[in-house]
Amino acid sequence: MNTNSQVKTARQAGLGQCLKCHKLNVITHKDQRCSCCQAKVSLRKYRSLEYTLAWTIAAIIAFFPANLYPIMIFTSLGTPEASTILSGIKTFIQLGMYPVALVVFIASFIVPLGKMLGLIILIITVKTGSKVDPKHRTQLYHLVEFLGPWSMLDVFVVALMAAVVNLGFITSIEAGPGISYFALMVIFTMFAAESFDPRLLWDNLDNDD
Amino acid sequence: MSAEPVNYDQMIACPQCDGLSTKPLLKEGQKAVCKRCGGKVLERKRDPIRRTLAVALAGLLLLIPATILPLIGVSAVGLFNQASLLDCIAILIANDYYLIAISLTIFTLAVPVIRLLAALYISWCIRMQRITPALVHFFRSYHQLDSWTMLHVFLLGIMVSMYKLVALAELSVGLGLVAFILLLICSTLVSVTLDKHYIWEQLEAGCEY
Repeated sequence: MNTNSQVKTARQAGLGQCLKCHKLNVITHKDQRCSCCQAKVSLRKYRSLEYTLAWTIAAIIAFFPANLYPIMIFTSLGTPEASTILSGIKTFIQLGMYPVALVVFIASFIVPLGKMLGLIILIITVKTGSKVDPKHRTQLYHLVEFLGPWSMLDVFVVALMAAVVNLGFITSIEAGPGISYFALMVIFTMFAAESFDPRLLWDNLDNDD
Repeated sequence: MSAEPVNYDQMIACPQCDGLSTKPLLKEGQKAVCKRCGGKVLERKRDPIRRTLAVALAGLLLLIPATILPLIGVSAVGLFNQASLLDCIAILIANDYYLIAISLTIFTLAVPVIRLLAALYISWCIRMQRITPALVHFFRSYHQLDSWTMLHVFLLGIMVSMYKLVALAELSVGLGLVAFILLLICSTLVSVTLDKHYIWEQLEAGCEY
Protein backbone atom coordinates (compact mmCIF):
# COMPACT_ATOMS: atom_id res chain seq x y z
CA MET A 1 0.00 0.00 0.00
CA ASN A 2 1.21 3.41 -0.90
CA THR A 3 1.55 6.05 1.78
CA ASN A 4 -0.20 8.45 -0.52
CA SER A 5 -3.45 6.57 -0.36
CA GLN A 6 -3.82 7.25 3.34
CA VAL A 7 -5.23 10.59 2.36
CA LYS A 8 -8.94 10.30 1.90
CA THR A 9 -10.20 11.64 -1.40
CA ALA A 10 -13.26 13.71 -2.00
CA ARG A 11 -14.63 10.93 -4.18
CA GLN A 12 -14.42 8.40 -1.37
CA ALA A 13 -16.39 10.80 0.77
CA GLY A 14 -19.00 11.16 -1.96
CA LEU A 15 -17.98 14.73 -2.59
CA GLY A 16 -17.40 16.31 -5.93
CA GLN A 17 -15.29 19.39 -6.21
CA CYS A 18 -16.58 22.13 -8.44
CA LEU A 19 -13.93 22.84 -11.06
CA LYS A 20 -14.85 26.49 -11.26
CA CYS A 21 -15.22 27.73 -7.68
CA HIS A 22 -13.56 24.79 -5.88
CA LYS A 23 -16.52 24.23 -3.59
CA LEU A 24 -17.23 20.69 -2.44
CA ASN A 25 -20.68 19.36 -3.18
CA VAL A 26 -22.30 16.16 -1.94
CA ILE A 27 -22.99 14.34 -5.18
CA THR A 28 -26.49 12.92 -5.18
CA HIS A 29 -27.61 12.75 -8.78
CA LYS A 30 -26.49 13.24 -12.35
CA ASP A 31 -26.40 16.71 -13.91
CA GLN A 32 -26.04 18.25 -10.49
CA ARG A 33 -25.26 21.94 -10.19
CA CYS A 34 -22.77 23.48 -7.77
CA SER A 35 -24.44 25.08 -4.77
CA CYS A 36 -22.10 28.07 -4.97
CA CYS A 37 -21.63 28.91 -8.64
CA GLN A 38 -24.28 26.81 -10.42
CA ALA A 39 -21.72 25.13 -12.66
CA LYS A 40 -22.19 21.45 -13.51
CA VAL A 41 -20.48 19.39 -10.86
CA SER A 42 -19.63 15.68 -10.78
CA LEU A 43 -17.04 13.38 -9.23
CA ARG A 44 -14.88 13.43 -12.35
CA LYS A 45 -15.07 15.31 -15.62
CA TYR A 46 -17.73 13.76 -17.82
CA ARG A 47 -16.27 11.13 -20.20
CA SER A 48 -12.88 12.73 -19.76
CA LEU A 49 -10.81 10.02 -21.44
CA GLU A 50 -13.10 9.66 -24.45
CA TYR A 51 -13.11 13.38 -25.13
CA THR A 52 -9.37 13.69 -24.64
CA LEU A 53 -8.73 10.80 -27.01
CA ALA A 54 -11.10 12.19 -29.62
CA TRP A 55 -9.50 15.64 -29.61
CA THR A 56 -6.03 14.11 -29.68
CA ILE A 57 -6.88 12.01 -32.73
CA ALA A 58 -8.29 15.10 -34.44
CA ALA A 59 -5.04 16.92 -33.68
CA ILE A 60 -2.94 14.08 -35.08
CA ILE A 61 -4.98 14.15 -38.29
CA ALA A 62 -4.49 17.92 -38.62
CA PHE A 63 -0.77 17.54 -37.93
CA PHE A 64 -0.09 16.07 -41.39
CA PRO A 65 -1.58 18.77 -43.64
CA ALA A 66 -0.12 21.35 -41.26
CA ASN A 67 3.36 20.09 -42.00
CA LEU A 68 2.94 19.11 -45.64
CA TYR A 69 1.25 22.23 -46.99
CA PRO A 70 3.22 25.48 -47.18
CA ILE A 71 2.52 27.86 -44.33
CA MET A 72 4.02 30.89 -45.99
CA ILE A 73 4.49 32.06 -49.58
CA PHE A 74 7.35 34.47 -50.01
CA THR A 75 7.39 36.43 -53.25
CA SER A 76 10.56 38.21 -54.25
CA LEU A 77 10.67 40.14 -57.55
CA GLY A 78 7.71 38.20 -58.85
CA THR A 79 9.00 34.70 -58.11
CA PRO A 80 6.92 32.96 -55.45
CA GLU A 81 8.59 30.57 -53.04
CA ALA A 82 6.49 28.41 -50.72
CA SER A 83 7.85 27.17 -47.43
CA THR A 84 6.54 24.62 -44.99
CA ILE A 85 7.29 24.63 -41.26
CA LEU A 86 10.31 22.37 -41.61
CA SER A 87 11.71 24.02 -44.74
CA GLY A 88 11.39 27.39 -42.97
CA ILE A 89 13.53 26.05 -40.14
CA LYS A 90 16.02 24.68 -42.65
CA THR A 91 16.35 28.16 -44.16
CA PHE A 92 17.11 29.59 -40.73
CA ILE A 93 19.85 27.03 -40.17
CA GLN A 94 21.34 27.75 -43.60
CA LEU A 95 21.35 31.46 -42.79
CA GLY A 96 23.09 30.71 -39.51
CA MET A 97 20.22 32.02 -37.38
CA TYR A 98 20.43 29.19 -34.87
CA PRO A 99 18.55 30.75 -31.91
CA VAL A 100 15.43 31.49 -33.99
CA ALA A 101 15.70 28.14 -35.71
CA LEU A 102 15.69 26.50 -32.30
CA VAL A 103 12.77 28.56 -30.95
CA VAL A 104 10.64 27.91 -34.03
CA PHE A 105 11.60 24.24 -34.15
CA ILE A 106 10.67 23.73 -30.51
CA ALA A 107 7.49 25.82 -30.60
CA SER A 108 6.06 24.56 -33.84
CA PHE A 109 7.35 21.02 -34.17
CA ILE A 110 8.57 19.50 -30.90
CA VAL A 111 5.85 21.03 -28.71
CA PRO A 112 2.83 19.91 -30.78
CA LEU A 113 4.31 16.43 -31.19
CA GLY A 114 5.24 16.22 -27.53
CA LYS A 115 1.79 17.39 -26.51
CA MET A 116 0.03 14.72 -28.51
CA LEU A 117 2.45 12.07 -27.28
CA GLY A 118 2.00 13.26 -23.68
CA LEU A 119 -1.78 13.12 -23.96
CA ILE A 120 -1.65 9.60 -25.37
CA ILE A 121 0.69 8.51 -22.54
CA LEU A 122 -1.71 10.02 -19.99
CA ILE A 123 -4.71 8.26 -21.53
CA ILE A 124 -2.93 4.91 -21.71
CA THR A 125 -1.61 5.06 -18.15
CA VAL A 126 -5.07 5.86 -16.79
CA LYS A 127 -6.68 3.14 -18.89
CA THR A 128 -4.19 0.43 -17.93
CA GLY A 129 -3.88 1.49 -14.31
CA SER A 130 -0.16 2.15 -14.55
CA LYS A 131 1.90 2.21 -11.36
CA VAL A 132 4.11 5.09 -12.49
CA ASP A 133 4.11 7.71 -9.74
CA PRO A 134 1.02 9.84 -10.37
CA LYS A 135 2.98 12.85 -9.18
CA HIS A 136 5.17 12.66 -12.26
CA ARG A 137 2.20 12.10 -14.51
CA THR A 138 0.45 15.09 -12.99
CA GLN A 139 3.56 17.12 -13.79
CA LEU A 140 3.38 15.84 -17.37
CA TYR A 141 -0.23 16.97 -17.55
CA HIS A 142 0.63 20.44 -16.28
CA LEU A 143 3.42 20.65 -18.83
CA VAL A 144 1.02 19.74 -21.64
CA GLU A 145 -1.46 22.29 -20.35
CA PHE A 146 1.17 25.00 -20.01
CA LEU A 147 2.64 24.44 -23.45
CA GLY A 148 -0.78 24.65 -25.11
CA PRO A 149 -0.87 28.23 -26.35
CA TRP A 150 2.84 28.47 -27.22
CA SER A 151 2.41 26.43 -30.37
CA MET A 152 0.33 29.26 -31.81
CA LEU A 153 3.65 31.05 -32.28
CA ASP A 154 4.01 30.16 -35.94
CA VAL A 155 0.45 31.19 -36.70
CA PHE A 156 1.07 34.62 -35.25
CA VAL A 157 4.42 34.97 -37.00
CA VAL A 158 2.84 34.23 -40.37
CA ALA A 159 -0.09 36.58 -39.69
CA LEU A 160 2.25 39.40 -38.76
CA MET A 161 4.72 38.82 -41.56
CA ALA A 162 1.93 38.72 -44.13
CA ALA A 163 0.68 42.08 -42.89
CA VAL A 164 4.04 43.82 -42.56
CA VAL A 165 5.90 42.52 -45.59
CA ASN A 166 3.70 43.93 -48.26
CA LEU A 167 5.96 45.93 -50.54
CA GLY A 168 4.18 45.06 -53.77
CA PHE A 169 6.39 43.61 -56.49
CA ILE A 170 9.68 43.81 -54.58
CA THR A 171 8.87 41.52 -51.68
CA SER A 172 5.64 40.29 -50.21
CA ILE A 173 4.63 37.47 -47.93
CA GLU A 174 1.33 35.66 -47.98
CA ALA A 175 -0.06 33.01 -45.69
CA GLY A 176 -0.25 29.46 -47.02
CA PRO A 177 -2.98 26.84 -46.54
CA GLY A 178 -0.90 24.86 -44.04
CA ILE A 179 -1.27 27.55 -41.41
CA SER A 180 -5.03 26.98 -41.07
CA TYR A 181 -4.47 23.29 -40.37
CA PHE A 182 -1.72 24.19 -37.97
CA ALA A 183 -3.99 26.52 -36.01
CA LEU A 184 -6.67 23.83 -35.93
CA MET A 185 -4.17 21.31 -34.61
CA VAL A 186 -3.12 23.62 -31.79
CA ILE A 187 -6.72 24.36 -30.86
CA PHE A 188 -7.57 20.63 -30.88
CA THR A 189 -4.69 19.79 -28.54
CA MET A 190 -5.78 22.59 -26.21
CA PHE A 191 -9.30 21.15 -26.11
CA ALA A 192 -7.82 17.72 -25.47
CA ALA A 193 -5.81 19.00 -22.51
CA GLU A 194 -8.88 20.79 -21.18
CA SER A 195 -11.04 17.64 -21.33
CA PHE A 196 -8.52 15.59 -19.38
CA ASP A 197 -9.15 15.23 -15.66
CA PRO A 198 -5.84 14.99 -13.74
CA ARG A 199 -7.64 13.45 -10.77
CA LEU A 200 -8.02 10.26 -12.83
CA LEU A 201 -4.26 9.79 -12.51
CA TRP A 202 -4.65 9.36 -8.76
CA ASP A 203 -7.71 7.15 -8.77
CA ASN A 204 -5.70 3.94 -9.27
CA LEU A 205 -4.14 4.48 -5.86
CA ASP A 206 -7.52 4.62 -4.18
CA ASN A 207 -8.68 1.41 -5.80
CA ASP A 208 -5.80 -0.51 -4.24
CA ASP A 209 -7.22 -0.20 -0.75
CA MET B 1 -20.99 6.33 -0.31
CA SER B 2 -19.76 6.55 3.25
CA ALA B 3 -22.16 8.34 5.57
CA GLU B 4 -19.63 9.94 7.87
CA PRO B 5 -20.80 13.11 9.52
CA VAL B 6 -18.31 15.43 7.83
CA ASN B 7 -18.85 19.11 7.74
CA TYR B 8 -17.68 19.53 4.22
CA ASP B 9 -17.83 23.31 4.31
CA GLN B 10 -14.67 23.11 6.40
CA MET B 11 -12.98 20.84 3.88
CA ILE B 12 -11.22 21.44 0.60
CA ALA B 13 -10.19 19.03 -2.10
CA CYS B 14 -7.05 19.26 -4.16
CA PRO B 15 -7.91 20.13 -7.76
CA GLN B 16 -5.14 17.86 -9.04
CA CYS B 17 -5.49 14.66 -7.06
CA ASP B 18 -8.82 15.01 -5.24
CA GLY B 19 -7.20 14.55 -1.81
CA LEU B 20 -9.34 15.93 1.01
CA SER B 21 -8.00 18.16 3.72
CA THR B 22 -9.39 20.62 6.23
CA LYS B 23 -9.54 24.19 5.04
CA PRO B 24 -6.58 26.06 6.54
CA LEU B 25 -6.92 29.60 7.78
CA LEU B 26 -4.49 31.56 5.70
CA LYS B 27 -3.16 35.04 6.18
CA GLU B 28 -2.75 37.33 3.19
CA GLY B 29 0.16 36.19 1.06
CA GLN B 30 0.16 32.60 2.33
CA LYS B 31 -0.66 29.48 0.37
CA ALA B 32 -1.45 25.88 1.21
CA VAL B 33 -0.17 22.83 -0.65
CA CYS B 34 -1.68 19.37 -0.87
CA LYS B 35 0.03 16.82 1.38
CA ARG B 36 -0.66 14.09 -1.13
CA CYS B 37 0.54 15.49 -4.45
CA GLY B 38 2.24 18.73 -3.46
CA GLY B 39 0.06 20.89 -5.70
CA LYS B 40 -1.34 24.23 -4.61
CA VAL B 41 -4.71 23.88 -2.92
CA LEU B 42 -5.47 27.34 -1.62
CA GLU B 43 -3.89 30.73 -1.79
CA ARG B 44 -4.71 34.09 -0.28
CA LYS B 45 -3.34 36.99 -2.19
CA ARG B 46 -2.45 40.39 -0.83
CA ASP B 47 -4.93 43.20 -1.34
CA PRO B 48 -6.60 41.40 -4.28
CA ILE B 49 -9.45 43.76 -5.09
CA ARG B 50 -7.65 47.09 -5.22
CA ARG B 51 -4.64 45.72 -7.06
CA THR B 52 -6.82 44.01 -9.66
CA LEU B 53 -8.81 47.20 -10.17
CA ALA B 54 -5.67 49.19 -10.81
CA VAL B 55 -4.03 46.69 -13.14
CA ALA B 56 -7.18 45.93 -15.14
CA LEU B 57 -7.91 49.61 -15.67
CA ALA B 58 -4.36 50.25 -16.83
CA GLY B 59 -4.62 47.32 -19.22
CA LEU B 60 -7.84 48.57 -20.75
CA LEU B 61 -6.37 52.02 -21.30
CA LEU B 62 -3.36 50.48 -23.06
CA LEU B 63 -5.54 48.34 -25.25
CA ILE B 64 -6.43 51.08 -27.74
CA PRO B 65 -2.86 52.14 -28.58
CA ALA B 66 -1.75 48.51 -28.59
CA THR B 67 -4.23 47.53 -31.29
CA ILE B 68 -4.35 50.66 -33.43
CA LEU B 69 -0.75 51.86 -33.47
CA PRO B 70 1.71 50.03 -35.75
CA LEU B 71 3.73 47.28 -34.10
CA ILE B 72 6.56 46.98 -36.59
CA GLY B 73 7.36 48.31 -40.03
CA VAL B 74 9.70 47.45 -42.88
CA SER B 75 11.28 49.53 -45.59
CA ALA B 76 13.21 48.46 -48.66
CA VAL B 77 14.25 50.42 -51.74
CA GLY B 78 12.27 53.46 -50.73
CA LEU B 79 9.06 51.57 -50.01
CA PHE B 80 7.69 51.55 -46.50
CA ASN B 81 4.99 49.49 -44.88
CA GLN B 82 3.94 49.02 -41.29
CA ALA B 83 1.21 47.02 -39.61
CA SER B 84 -0.79 47.13 -36.42
CA LEU B 85 -2.67 44.26 -34.85
CA LEU B 86 -5.85 45.39 -36.60
CA ASP B 87 -4.02 45.52 -39.95
CA CYS B 88 -2.91 41.93 -39.49
CA ILE B 89 -6.48 40.82 -39.00
CA ALA B 90 -7.74 42.94 -41.92
CA ILE B 91 -5.14 41.53 -44.31
CA LEU B 92 -5.89 37.96 -43.27
CA ILE B 93 -9.58 38.56 -43.96
CA ALA B 94 -8.76 40.17 -47.31
CA ASN B 95 -6.75 37.09 -48.28
CA ASP B 96 -9.56 34.73 -47.24
CA TYR B 97 -7.74 33.23 -44.27
CA TYR B 98 -10.81 33.43 -42.08
CA LEU B 99 -9.81 30.75 -39.61
CA ILE B 100 -6.50 32.45 -38.84
CA ALA B 101 -8.19 35.84 -38.70
CA ILE B 102 -10.74 34.52 -36.24
CA SER B 103 -8.17 32.83 -34.02
CA LEU B 104 -6.01 35.95 -34.02
CA THR B 105 -9.00 38.10 -33.10
CA ILE B 106 -10.14 35.76 -30.36
CA PHE B 107 -6.80 34.97 -28.76
CA THR B 108 -5.05 38.31 -28.92
CA LEU B 109 -7.97 40.74 -28.85
CA ALA B 110 -11.35 39.44 -27.71
CA VAL B 111 -10.29 37.16 -24.86
CA PRO B 112 -7.81 39.62 -23.30
CA VAL B 113 -10.35 42.46 -23.53
CA ILE B 114 -13.17 40.45 -22.02
CA ARG B 115 -10.82 39.17 -19.34
CA LEU B 116 -9.69 42.65 -18.34
CA LEU B 117 -13.24 44.00 -18.41
CA ALA B 118 -14.47 41.07 -16.35
CA ALA B 119 -11.71 41.47 -13.77
CA LEU B 120 -12.45 45.19 -13.52
CA TYR B 121 -16.19 44.75 -13.25
CA ILE B 122 -16.09 41.98 -10.69
CA SER B 123 -13.55 43.77 -8.49
CA TRP B 124 -15.54 46.96 -8.65
CA CYS B 125 -18.77 45.18 -7.72
CA ILE B 126 -17.15 43.48 -4.74
CA ARG B 127 -15.56 46.71 -3.62
CA MET B 128 -18.93 48.45 -3.83
CA GLN B 129 -20.63 45.48 -2.15
CA ARG B 130 -23.04 45.12 -5.06
CA ILE B 131 -23.20 41.37 -5.36
CA THR B 132 -25.99 39.95 -7.49
CA PRO B 133 -26.71 36.36 -8.57
CA ALA B 134 -25.86 37.35 -12.14
CA LEU B 135 -22.34 38.12 -11.00
CA VAL B 136 -21.90 34.47 -10.03
CA HIS B 137 -22.58 33.31 -13.58
CA PHE B 138 -20.42 36.08 -14.88
CA PHE B 139 -17.41 35.14 -12.79
CA ARG B 140 -17.88 31.48 -13.59
CA SER B 141 -17.40 32.23 -17.28
CA TYR B 142 -14.25 34.15 -16.41
CA HIS B 143 -12.48 30.91 -15.49
CA GLN B 144 -12.69 29.71 -19.07
CA LEU B 145 -10.71 32.66 -20.37
CA ASP B 146 -7.39 32.14 -18.61
CA SER B 147 -5.92 29.49 -20.89
CA TRP B 148 -7.05 31.20 -24.08
CA THR B 149 -5.20 34.50 -23.73
CA MET B 150 -2.24 34.45 -26.05
CA LEU B 151 -0.75 37.92 -25.78
CA HIS B 152 2.55 36.44 -24.61
CA VAL B 153 2.70 34.10 -27.58
CA PHE B 154 1.96 36.96 -29.93
CA LEU B 155 4.82 38.96 -28.44
CA LEU B 156 7.19 36.07 -29.06
CA GLY B 157 5.73 35.96 -32.57
CA ILE B 158 6.59 39.64 -33.04
CA MET B 159 10.13 38.96 -31.88
CA VAL B 160 10.60 36.00 -34.20
CA SER B 161 9.17 38.03 -37.11
CA MET B 162 11.58 40.87 -36.36
CA TYR B 163 14.46 38.43 -36.36
CA LYS B 164 13.30 37.07 -39.69
CA LEU B 165 12.82 40.50 -41.20
CA VAL B 166 16.18 41.93 -40.17
CA ALA B 167 17.79 39.91 -42.96
CA LEU B 168 15.19 41.02 -45.46
CA ALA B 169 14.67 44.73 -45.06
CA GLU B 170 15.18 47.72 -42.82
CA LEU B 171 13.15 47.30 -39.68
CA SER B 172 11.40 49.91 -37.58
CA VAL B 173 9.63 49.50 -34.28
CA GLY B 174 6.30 51.24 -33.76
CA LEU B 175 4.81 52.79 -30.67
CA GLY B 176 2.19 50.07 -30.74
CA LEU B 177 4.80 47.53 -29.68
CA VAL B 178 5.55 49.46 -26.50
CA ALA B 179 1.84 49.68 -25.69
CA PHE B 180 1.46 45.99 -26.51
CA ILE B 181 4.24 44.95 -24.14
CA LEU B 182 2.73 47.05 -21.35
CA LEU B 183 -0.69 45.53 -22.08
CA LEU B 184 0.83 42.08 -21.82
CA ILE B 185 2.34 42.99 -18.45
CA CYS B 186 -1.03 44.25 -17.18
CA SER B 187 -2.84 41.18 -18.49
CA THR B 188 -0.37 38.88 -16.76
CA LEU B 189 -0.54 40.88 -13.55
CA VAL B 190 -4.31 40.45 -13.46
CA SER B 191 -3.88 36.70 -13.05
CA VAL B 192 -1.30 37.39 -10.34
CA THR B 193 -3.41 39.82 -8.35
CA LEU B 194 -6.90 38.40 -8.83
CA ASP B 195 -7.74 36.03 -5.99
CA LYS B 196 -10.36 33.59 -7.26
CA HIS B 197 -10.90 31.93 -3.89
CA TYR B 198 -11.46 35.26 -2.21
CA ILE B 199 -13.93 36.38 -4.87
CA TRP B 200 -15.87 33.11 -4.66
CA GLU B 201 -16.05 33.46 -0.89
CA GLN B 202 -17.39 36.97 -1.27
CA LEU B 203 -19.88 35.93 -3.94
CA GLU B 204 -21.11 32.98 -1.92
CA ALA B 205 -21.52 35.10 1.19
CA GLY B 206 -23.14 37.89 -0.77
CA CYS B 207 -26.03 36.03 -2.34
CA GLU B 208 -28.07 33.26 -0.82
CA TYR B 209 -29.76 30.78 -3.09
